[in-house]
Amino acid sequence: MRSRKSTSTKRGFLVRKDEGPSLLGLAFSIPPLLLVLIFVGLPILIGLTFSLGFTSGPNRVVSLIGQQIHKKNHWWGTFAAYSDVIHDSRFLGDLGLTLFVTILSTILVILLSLSIALYQRLIGGKKSSLLVTLSIIPLFVPVVISAWAIHTFYGGDGFMRSFFSQFGINFPTLTSTPSAIVIGTVWTSLPFAILMISSGLQGIPDALIESAKDCGASPIRVITNILIPLAKTPIIIATSFTAIGILGSFTIPLFLGPNQPTMLGVEISNFFGSYNRPQQSLVMAFMVFMIASGIAIAYVWSNVKSARESGRI
Amino acid sequence: MKKESDEMGLELRGLKKILGGRVIIDDLDLRVEQGEMISLLGPSGCGKTTTLRMIAGFLTADAGQIMLAGKDVTQLGPDKRPSAMVFQNYALWPHMSAAKNVAYPLKIKGLSKVEINEKVEAALELVKLLHHKDSRPGQISGGEQQRVALARALVQEPDVLLLDEPLSNLDAKLREKVREDIRELQRRLGITTVIVTHDQEEALSISDRVAVMNSGRIEQFSSPQDLYRHPATEYVATFIGSLNRFEGELVDGQIRSGEGIVGIRPEDLVIAQNYIEGSHQGTVELVIPRGHFYEIVVRRHDGLFRAFMNENVPALGESVHVGIKKSLRYHNGKLVA
Amino acid sequence: MKRVSIGRVAINIGILILAFFILGPIVWLAVHAFASDWKYPNLYPSGISFHWWSKVFLDSALATAIRNSLIISPIVVVISMIICLPAAYAAGRLNYPGRKTFMVGIFSANSFPKIGLFAAIATLYYALNLMGTFLGVVIVQLLGTIIYMTWIPAAAFAAVPRNLEEAARDAGASKFRVFRTITLRLAMPGILVAIVMSFLASFDEAQGSYLVGAPSIYTMPTEMYSLVQNYPIQVAAVFSILLAIPSVLLLSLARKHIMGGQLAEGFQLK
Repeated sequence: MRSRKSTSTKRGFLVRKDEGPSLLGLAFSIPPLLLVLIFVGLPILIGLTFSLGFTSGPNRVVSLIGQQIHKKNHWWGTFAAYSDVIHDSRFLGDLGLTLFVTILSTILVILLSLSIALYQRLIGGKKSSLLVTLSIIPLFVPVVISAWAIHTFYGGDGFMRSFFSQFGINFPTLTSTPSAIVIGTVWTSLPFAILMISSGLQGIPDALIESAKDCGASPIRVITNILIPLAKTPIIIATSFTAIGILGSFTIPLFLGPNQPTMLGVEISNFFGSYNRPQQSLVMAFMVFMIASGIAIAYVWSNVKSARESGRI
Repeated sequence: MKKESDEMGLELRGLKKILGGRVIIDDLDLRVEQGEMISLLGPSGCGKTTTLRMIAGFLTADAGQIMLAGKDVTQLGPDKRPSAMVFQNYALWPHMSAAKNVAYPLKIKGLSKVEINEKVEAALELVKLLHHKDSRPGQISGGEQQRVALARALVQEPDVLLLDEPLSNLDAKLREKVREDIRELQRRLGITTVIVTHDQEEALSISDRVAVMNSGRIEQFSSPQDLYRHPATEYVATFIGSLNRFEGELVDGQIRSGEGIVGIRPEDLVIAQNYIEGSHQGTVELVIPRGHFYEIVVRRHDGLFRAFMNENVPALGESVHVGIKKSLRYHNGKLVA
Repeated sequence: MKRVSIGRVAINIGILILAFFILGPIVWLAVHAFASDWKYPNLYPSGISFHWWSKVFLDSALATAIRNSLIISPIVVVISMIICLPAAYAAGRLNYPGRKTFMVGIFSANSFPKIGLFAAIATLYYALNLMGTFLGVVIVQLLGTIIYMTWIPAAAFAAVPRNLEEAARDAGASKFRVFRTITLRLAMPGILVAIVMSFLASFDEAQGSYLVGAPSIYTMPTEMYSLVQNYPIQVAAVFSILLAIPSVLLLSLARKHIMGGQLAEGFQLK
């Protein structure tokens, strides 16, 4: 057999050195990019102009239908709608609740995932697989169902109250309280966080743990000095995805939360639909987006940093 | 860190390990002198790594006793044992610099910052890597990573140093140099050292004594010269170096059918153009240049003989005389004196 | 030894609490689907009955929603694959300017709050006459699948060892054949996970489909919104079970790969 001289290039067969940067790659990435630009980028851009008081052009129809529309009074627009929202005590209450739920639920989800994943990594066995499998189950359940199931479980005539009333205990009705939103968001966010963190921890070679033990490290030290720093990227990804997801959540607070204050996801929908104040609704969306972007930047930054450290960039 | 000479550096007594229902290590005894460097040598699956991991404390022994520098450590975890290990893939923590890796065990011991700094620098100096102290493991070569791992082990001032296949991940050129460096360092520090390896050349060249292991037992534990010249079992004879192995007995310089095994080292054969005492004739079947010597294979009426030659190398097909200077005889696998 | 048994008791309690927290609500809801009547504070129903099931199947609005969902979601997944998989291959394997920006852009588009996007999208939908149309619902659901269909397969394509492809090339296979028989096959687990996640994202999508589709097009999840208000809990329970069937089937199919890290691998920027 004719043996060709080494064909091994570090990159793939489609990228030979003489080909340089691939135009094919650019062409391939255009369709999804166009879709996102037209149906995400463009609406957001139009929405941004609308929130700033540009009421003509594509915003004409919605300006005619909506109430309390502010028209621009500078060349760049107006902040009147933003001012409306910021001075709305209702919005401030919603924002407070949204941040409270996002922070509390994210902390709970990450702590829970981390402890289960650490248990699985350090001790392992059937019980740890059982814990992980249990935590993944919510991934199998559409969020509308989860929300409704949790509603019936913790609601006025739900299981918790039925069960405790057998012993004459009056268990509180949790639905329509922030507690129920936290329960719901933790329930639905758990699988992704567990998958991320457990796969990150499983990827750490045994030898790195053993060498620490050999140096005299206690289990706590192994966790804080070795395992958590090495799984930092997956943990940050899990944290930011969880936080962004909860921040923009709609169905869970709609089914489980109180009417007032409610989470911003529900309020955006209320302002758009029920109250017919589309401009204010969009202003809220941009505020949520700004918070989410902050979290997303942390995620991207951590990703890039870890790639640089391991020499991938 | 010299200890009184009457206590052993490392002692294993009746060690036993069962994994997944299989006996991996069976009733293993080993006594290593203080300051001695020994190798556990054997093919994969012979139990050498299991033994090392039991000494380090990553596996608990199912029976038996482990003594490190006179102390019984059988019940202690790896963090409590006075041993330090250099892992096969070095197991450096990628998120810490070389200096941080080396400092880690000292930080756990609760030493002061000044003391840690001093010792880390000294340890990195020892392995000649001070200039890389702020590099991350991903930024330095495999050989340098190994030296960091060595520094991290030495800085703990262990009673026993454990090396798991220390050279297997280095390329051939570097291997010889690192081997000498390790040996030199170990002599200078006088530290009891156990190396696990599957490479006989490595084991023979670096160790005071070598324990050849086979299916969970130690076949022979002696000096490299002894292992080669006086292999106690047939297994050791064939495992170490090359051997002309025949079934039968040696009578009048010829192999005759009979009980037992005859083993002849290639250098114990004499190849000559003409008859010398006790030699028999044969034909050269193969001549293989091996750099500074030739390996030649001669067919005699009683079998194939493999020998090494430097000069007067016969040609293929030539008729030569083969004489036997020295042979080993084994019965039921054991050396017969 | 005593410490060990305390740890064991603690972990058993932990498993019980987690099982109760996760399974409790689903089981409680599922049981309702077979209950004739259930009065608070009873822990069990007054009787067992299947008549809620026939009620769901005979209700034309609910049946239409089921049909819509089963038609729309596969279409969405196929379109998503056609649009995104080449881009995923490019992002995982090819070298072109703006590759990272593309990936990060897709990601940040996903971090805009969905409900806000759907509010903003209305303007465009009115302009393009997409409001209340089948295509409109398909596009809204498509948006939620893009991140899965690009990121996860991109990681899977990137992870295919180059020397396996080169060995096949060396054995005489054409570029296309290598792609089909080696690259695609080895990236398949990741693509499978992406398909499953995309299907679920589309099938479970409720907010956008409701805003864009109602009142002319209802899918199963959007029907749930009105269902829980207008029907007894048992009907919602039956409907929930029906809605959960595709998820459970698909996820158990891809469970090995999802738990095996394909999903987690997919979201690490390379």
